[in-house]
Amino acid sequence: MTGAGAGTRRRSKWRTYVPAILLFLAALGIWELWVVARDVPTYLLPRVSEIGIELGEQGWSLFRHLRWTMLEAVLGFLAGSTAAFLAAVIFVHMRAVEGALFPWAIVLQTIPIVAIAPLLTIWFGFTLVPKVVIAAIICFFPVLVNTARGLRSISAQAVELMSVLSARKTAVFWRLRVPSSLPYVFAGLRIASTLAVIGAIVAEFTGADRGIGFVIIQASYRLDTKRLFAGLVLSSAGGIVFFNLIGLLERLTVRWPGARLQES
Amino acid sequence: MRFGGHEPITALEDVSFDIDDGEFVAIVGPSGCGKSTLLRIIAGLLEPTAGSVTVRGKTPSEARRDVEFGFVFQSPVLFPWLRVLGNVLLPDRILGKRNPLAVADAERHARGLLRDVGLEGFEEYYPEQISGGMQQRVALARALSYGASTLLMDEPFGALDEFTRDNLNIQLLEVWQQTRSTVLFVTHSLQEAIFLSDRVVVLSPRPGSVMRIADVPFGRPRDLTIRYRPDFAALNGELRELLQIDAGAAGDGEVAPP
Repeated sequence: MTGAGAGTRRRSKWRTYVPAILLFLAALGIWELWVVARDVPTYLLPRVSEIGIELGEQGWSLFRHLRWTMLEAVLGFLAGSTAAFLAAVIFVHMRAVEGALFPWAIVLQTIPIVAIAPLLTIWFGFTLVPKVVIAAIICFFPVLVNTARGLRSISAQAVELMSVLSARKTAVFWRLRVPSSLPYVFAGLRIASTLAVIGAIVAEFTGADRGIGFVIIQASYRLDTKRLFAGLVLSSAGGIVFFNLIGLLERLTVRWPGARLQES
Repeated sequence: MRFGGHEPITALEDVSFDIDDGEFVAIVGPSGCGKSTLLRIIAGLLEPTAGSVTVRGKTPSEARRDVEFGFVFQSPVLFPWLRVLGNVLLPDRILGKRNPLAVADAERHARGLLRDVGLEGFEEYYPEQISGGMQQRVALARALSYGASTLLMDEPFGALDEFTRDNLNIQLLEVWQQTRSTVLFVTHSLQEAIFLSDRVVVLSPRPGSVMRIADVPFGRPRDLTIRYRPDFAALNGELRELLQIDAGAAGDGEVAPP
């Protein structure tokens, strides 16, 4: 591809963002004006500018909370995704194990994490552990389902080709199954990346002395909606950054044309 | 030969023939007559319920273990994450020391094969970026890349347009002229079968059995014009009639009732 071609593509990509940015700015403007015009009390709905000022003044302290939450989310994401990947590998090679264990995975998926979080906090206290575990649990299922599907997404003929070459199981795994699965794995990881942040925050609600979830709960007790909104903005920003990092990792890993399942 | 599954289906029955080393044999028959099944039995990918296959004195699975077979499928079955060159090198990477073709420089060998099938300059393309005909050439180069003694081809050009197919037929003969491996070529095109092969094995509808083994009298090298010769047309017509009569007798829906 030529440099000029890449440049054109980047410019047209910007053009697709322009309506989204304009709409976003317009929505913020309407919010601001509406709150001023109707004289809405701050404890119900702060003005956009007030949230901005709060973010500016409290930025560093809020950022430290965000950093903590992101640490929990990333650790949980890594643990949950790794476990899910290993489980998927076992499932694909041992049907009987899948039959025995998959119902457990579904049960785990259907229990609301809001219900497990307090229990884990009782067991592990105000530590990092319950947050990481919750984030891991919430990441597990989407990665498991997508990876198992990806590892199976190989054609019968590709398997025959490997048989004709008398390829070992390890060769079939690394040279065929794993590359075929990557687009699926990343689809799972992208879902998991946003869920992990939510999981960490929910876990913080049930008992924490720092983190964005802690900030939000504290602010809500004090009807400090400015701070609450600032927390919301930051947690969303953290999720977006994490999501895009996974997207970047995908673009670096899955490079062949026509591979990505859906464009983000 | 019976197939597993819900209801066992007898796919092949009474199929018996010998193939010489270095011979090019085409197998034709109506769809569903078990042509592909036969290739898979020979390659040791399927076990026959009855009968036996011997490949150079070995059972199919032994021959497979000794890397006697190259297989070209109906679809190219390229790995989309590997470039063209990487796909041709795949067998060498998997076989390692078991590669029967002991070449010092596998990559140079692969590049040479790609030149032979007319793909010079496309080594660094991804499969997605080249046409279906080119993809099938890559598949051919891959099957030839490790010096297999027997090339099994399962309707390899069936999905291509006529001109691409003609092109590939000529190229296949050129490459085969150099390697002189034994080729079993399954097709449902009589014209293709006669043009390519030394002998044509005609199978009947399911359960497939050998109706006729026809010698193809044309010398080599051949070019596409032999297809216009009267003896070519005569052989073609003779075999076509054989296939049509039997398809009608079997009540196959493909032939209109009288």
